[in-house]
Amino acid sequence: MSHEPIRVVLAKVGLDGHDRGIKVVARALRDAGCHVIYAGLWQTVESVVRTVADEDADWLGLSILSGAHMTLVPQVMEALRQAGLEHVGVMVGGIIPEPDIPKLVNLGVSRVFGPGTPMHEIVEFVKSRRSAAHA
Amino acid sequence: MLESQLWQGMRQRDRRSLARLITRASRGLGIETIRRLGPPEKPARVFAITGSGGVGKSTLIGKLIPQFRERGRTVAVLACDPESPLTGGALLGDRFRMGAPLDDGVYIRSLAACSGRQAIADHLDAVIRLCEEFGFDRIIVETVGAGQGDTAVRAWADLVVLLLQPETGDELQWEKAGVLEIADLMVIHKADLPGADRVAQQVRSALEVAGGPVVPVLLVSSRTGQGIPELATALETLPSRSRRGDDRSAFLVDAQQMLIHRLQHPAATELLAKWRSGRIDIQEALRRLLEETSVSAQ
Ligand SMILES: Nc1nc2c(ncn2[C@@H]2O[C@H](COP(=O)(O)OP(=O)(O)OP(=O)(O)O)[C@@H](O)[C@H]2O)c(=O)[nH]1
Ligand SMILES: [Mg+2]
Repeated sequence: MSHEPIRVVLAKVGLDGHDRGIKVVARALRDAGCHVIYAGLWQTVESVVRTVADEDADWLGLSILSGAHMTLVPQVMEALRQAGLEHVGVMVGGIIPEPDIPKLVNLGVSRVFGPGTPMHEIVEFVKSRRSAAHA
Repeated sequence: MLESQLWQGMRQRDRRSLARLITRASRGLGIETIRRLGPPEKPARVFAITGSGGVGKSTLIGKLIPQFRERGRTVAVLACDPESPLTGGALLGDRFRMGAPLDDGVYIRSLAACSGRQAIADHLDAVIRLCEEFGFDRIIVETVGAGQGDTAVRAWADLVVLLLQPETGDELQWEKAGVLEIADLMVIHKADLPGADRVAQQVRSALEVAGGPVVPVLLVSSRTGQGIPELATALETLPSRSRRGDDRSAFLVDAQQMLIHRLQHPAATELLAKWRSGRIDIQEALRRLLEETSVSAQ
């Protein structure tokens, strides 16, 4: 039986040049057997959606530290829908104020991870949801 | 989604369908359907970009894409990065280095290659065929790194480009590994760094000594742009190796796979130990390797 690794696109938004967090997540997911496409600093909503489509991703992980999540996430979710990519799960990581979390979930974000989230939590979440989607 | 729907999507030039079929093919699914496609209506030219880790393969591909686009060609890039043999996981970072443009005429796809086994992803021939079927004119394959698996790429590429860089001790590497034999085109990359001219000289004289077909040696820098248009022109104009009829490289691929397989045989480990302790000489070790690890011996 061929193995079917989960494909995850990770992209970072914002110009603070701080990408350590996302790289730690990338390595943790790799070590858990995922295929991780590090898309780097994301320029536009269109380019991140294009990456998700072309890479046939199961997950999109967005790292947003700039505080612009309430404008960017709705745009991404809408662009994914328009591209016919609503099956792709979206995770958001970064500094997200507590009251915004339910709003993001309402927009269709599967899960929001705060700065101190242990890696195994992210890994377990990605793996469990994949099996649910394919059950 | 059903496979028939994906093929329907391919005909309508739906990129999601292409992407999904590539995922399936890379996992060994739907390969028979792809084989049955027969020869492509419009064959693409396939380039393999190879060279050791960090030599700048992805960066250079990123610079070549607009060159092909200016010449009116659509481009698909298949970027291979190593997969961990232990976890099956992979970090695919080439795309980021290429600065993937938002252009319908460009498709970039990251693929994992089983490390330790080969420099390209599994079923790459089928993946290439899918990109061809979709209508891409030029297909660029980035391999994991120069070395043992590289003969595999010869079977599928019209041209193989080997990248070397100055000041890394690479000189010694390529002389030992005989990697010069692989290449149809040599690029001394990072030509903005000191020592590039010297490496170019060494490579040229090594090629001369080796005889064989004339292999162009180009000095290129992705940082300054030096040599990029010339490289694109060379890729467009050099005659293709006849990839589909290249039974010599198909033979090499099979022979190599066989040897890799046999080296994992316990008898191979024993022979290595005997040779290292001086109990047998290398000729005998090699002869017995072939005998004692053959299928019948297993
Ligand atoms: N000086 C100089 N550095 C370059 C040039 N092109 C790329 N680099 C640098 O070389 C490093 C490696 O570049 P990549 O394009 O990732 O190399 P690669 O061969 O694709 O690497 P792997 O995929 O890991 O095997 C990066 O830090 C680049 O910035 C160049 O023309 N000149
Ligand atoms: Mg690379």
